[in-house]
Amino acid sequence: MTPPIPGLDGAYWPYLALLLFAVLPTEIWRWLAVAFARRIPPESPVLEWVRSVATALLAGVVAKLIIVPPGALAAAPLGLRIGALAVALAIMLFDRRRVMLAVLAGEATLIAGAWLLI
Amino acid sequence: MALAGMRDALSLPAWVVGFGLVGIGSLARDVGYPVEVAVLSTMLVWAGPSQVIFFASIAAGAAWSAIAIAIGFASLRFLPMTVAILPLLRRPGQSVWLQLVLSHYVAVTAWTEGLRRLPAVPPPQRVAYFLGFANTCMAVSSIGTFSGYYLVNALPIPFAAGLLCLTPIFFLVSLAAGIRHRGDIAAMVLGLALAPICDRFIGGGFDLIVAGVIAGSIAFLIGRRRGRAA
Repeated sequence: MTPPIPGLDGAYWPYLALLLFAVLPTEIWRWLAVAFARRIPPESPVLEWVRSVATALLAGVVAKLIIVPPGALAAAPLGLRIGALAVALAIMLFDRRRVMLAVLAGEATLIAGAWLLI
Repeated sequence: MALAGMRDALSLPAWVVGFGLVGIGSLARDVGYPVEVAVLSTMLVWAGPSQVIFFASIAAGAAWSAIAIAIGFASLRFLPMTVAILPLLRRPGQSVWLQLVLSHYVAVTAWTEGLRRLPAVPPPQRVAYFLGFANTCMAVSSIGTFSGYYLVNALPIPFAAGLLCLTPIFFLVSLAAGIRHRGDIAAMVLGLALAPICDRFIGGGFDLIVAGVIAGSIAFLIGRRRGRAA
């Protein structure tokens, strides 16, 4: 457990910590984007590149959550975690409008698999 | 139009994000933070990965500076994401303040769904639609986080694991739903493949950024080549 910064401890510390160390480092990029976006024409290749990087970053977050899983998810074996993603993705490849079905099928795979294996 | 946004959000995305952020409530409870901080993190941070890093790092005893830097890097993606979606929402004479408010809602769901649905909405009504959509997602998610604070400890492990896995499954499905051409597929596949490799070889929280820039740049070139050939 990370202790509060000395001198700032108290009932309001969790709120202060949230604002300083979570809200600020997240929100700053959205604000900077507002400042930058006005100078970039909507159809520019720069935007296309930027979108491409953002897509890859999000895919990277997915991979990291599966490879280094939080909390109870770590109890499910790696093969099962990958399998659940594969099931969801397979349904999306079959029909890209089946978002709900894909999510539910992936979830069902993971929960049923974890139920049998743990 | 705000109502249309609310309706589209309630058709699925709001529920998925809501369930996805249930786990945040349980992480907050683990570190002994009040339920208000858990719910505020959903409303003010509005980024699952940032919230996961925040509470999980506190539990692990990471330094505050390391937590802030890790969240900063994990959130860098909002810069390109916001730059990409703002042209769809921008109107002549729109104030910077409104744009700052709109930018706050940029996160995986509002972004992927926004890029997919906004082009079909008439430009004058897009802001109302987007705010209706995003605020509905946020309201449902706040309730989800609140419930998770009290509920998750009571769930058997397979269901707790299922809740935590909802986030990556939904991220991936959202990305797949937003694919427009070969470049998008390349970005997705390369991002998935490179992130674990960079995670192993690059430390200090820089791994995700390096993987994203390399994979995204290669995918961009693949997309451009296809564009010229067509």
